[in-house]
Amino acid sequence: MRALTYQGPYRVRVENKPDPIIEHPQDVVLKVTRTAICGSDLHLLHGLIADTRVGCTFGHEFMGVVEEAGREVKNLRKGDRVVVPFNISCGTCFYCQRSLTALCENSNPSSDLASGVFGYSHTTGGFEGGQAEYVRVPYADVGPMRAPDDMEDEEVLFLSDILPTGYQGAEMGEIQPGETVVVFGCGPVGLFAMKSAWLMGAGRVIAVDHLPYRLAFAEQYAKVETVNFKEVGDVVMHLRELCGGRGADVCIDAVGMEAEGSTMHKMLGLAKLEAGAPTAINWSIDTVRKGGNVSIIGVYGPPWNLINIGTAMNKGLTLRMNQCNVRRYMPRLLEHIREGRIDAKGIITHRFPLEDAAHAYHLFAQKRDNCIKCVLVPHGHA
Amino acid sequence: MQIQQIEGRGADADPRNRPGVPMETVPAPLSGAQMPIEQQKSDYAVLMHGGKQKLPPVFGTAAPLKGLSGVIRKVAYKYPDHWARHWMMLMMADRVDSWEHNLRRTLPLAAVLVLGGLTFKLIRR
Repeated sequence: MRALTYQGPYRVRVENKPDPIIEHPQDVVLKVTRTAICGSDLHLLHGLIADTRVGCTFGHEFMGVVEEAGREVKNLRKGDRVVVPFNISCGTCFYCQRSLTALCENSNPSSDLASGVFGYSHTTGGFEGGQAEYVRVPYADVGPMRAPDDMEDEEVLFLSDILPTGYQGAEMGEIQPGETVVVFGCGPVGLFAMKSAWLMGAGRVIAVDHLPYRLAFAEQYAKVETVNFKEVGDVVMHLRELCGGRGADVCIDAVGMEAEGSTMHKMLGLAKLEAGAPTAINWSIDTVRKGGNVSIIGVYGPPWNLINIGTAMNKGLTLRMNQCNVRRYMPRLLEHIREGRIDAKGIITHRFPLEDAAHAYHLFAQKRDNCIKCVLVPHGHA
Repeated sequence: MQIQQIEGRGADADPRNRPGVPMETVPAPLSGAQMPIEQQKSDYAVLMHGGKQKLPPVFGTAAPLKGLSGVIRKVAYKYPDHWARHWMMLMMADRVDSWEHNLRRTLPLAAVLVLGGLTFKLIRR
């Protein structure tokens, strides 16, 4: 089959690889019909996630049609069209039983950080990703959700990651009706966090970024106020003033380890003295009001970051964070898509055949051509 | 735009409509889950970090260890994942993996150039 492969930092290439096979009786092999490039794939591309091995295939946002099912798979059969959560979860362990599928302890031998994740280095289990023609999906009766026949692939594709992640980001902020929410980052996850903040009854949503085209997109797509942090002197002071001097009730970090805005953190990140730049977390801690909530859905790698934990402690903040427990959000978010409350497909700006995946990566990474979200089409025309 | 006009605003204002509330649910197997889970087999060694007691029933087989980077990774996985050296060695192994890959790719070309150069030198003599 054809698959995207990692060639070392900043280099990916589409090449031939052996087709995936059933390696466990609860596996299915999926023929991938749509797959997307996630902002967190860029951390892999840039060599920032430990144990990313040359030759592995990225991709944790995908959907497709069941090609082959293992002998213990009961709920899926050949031809079923499914969306697959990025977490690989057994459904029976201590965490899965509590609906914390992102923490499953039966899919990742390499670390105790998280469950297994498709195409996200050996740190999360060493599973091949979905930016390929075919992919192996373990625990197939637990994770994948059937796509409704009357809905197109692209309407439901983002239920695999970014839509539930954005929603969980807003949910962890414990937003009360009428509250002011600041979202750092106007990428796809940030956009869905903004949409979700409205669903939860926020009174005001303010988006922060530095790319004018992304701010304009957020304004139009999520109907939010925007702040370009490169155009204001001190972004924390500016945001506090916008929020009546006290600060926001809730801040959401939808940026992660490759944040702009602090030369010191960028340099320390490049020198591997910390795991990327925690600028968005620190701005969240400084911007939120005392007693407020900070929600972190941006990805950070181990082992450590320089975070203003003393400020958070003294301000009495609640910090909540997690990889998204995707499966539990899928039915409710599907309902929101169906009812027209969220236009998930509306954030797609680029479509490419799988063969052009390397070009798509570079376009997305360099934020060229007003790119918000790239979708790859492994079979047929983009 | 008036916020009242925003499509769906407040649909999940009641925490009971939020799928992740409460964060932990009453323990119960998820729909479709099967017990016991058969152990996946592998033709090559699967690395577990030093703090892990037993292999999970399912794991990935994306890229087996090879070369010097493989040796470094093997050593790194002897340490538990709360040790900084575990991560630092893995990051180093990633760089070595990339250099090894470049070397493997450029070696045939380098060999042709060296041999060509030597042949040219011999002919000129």
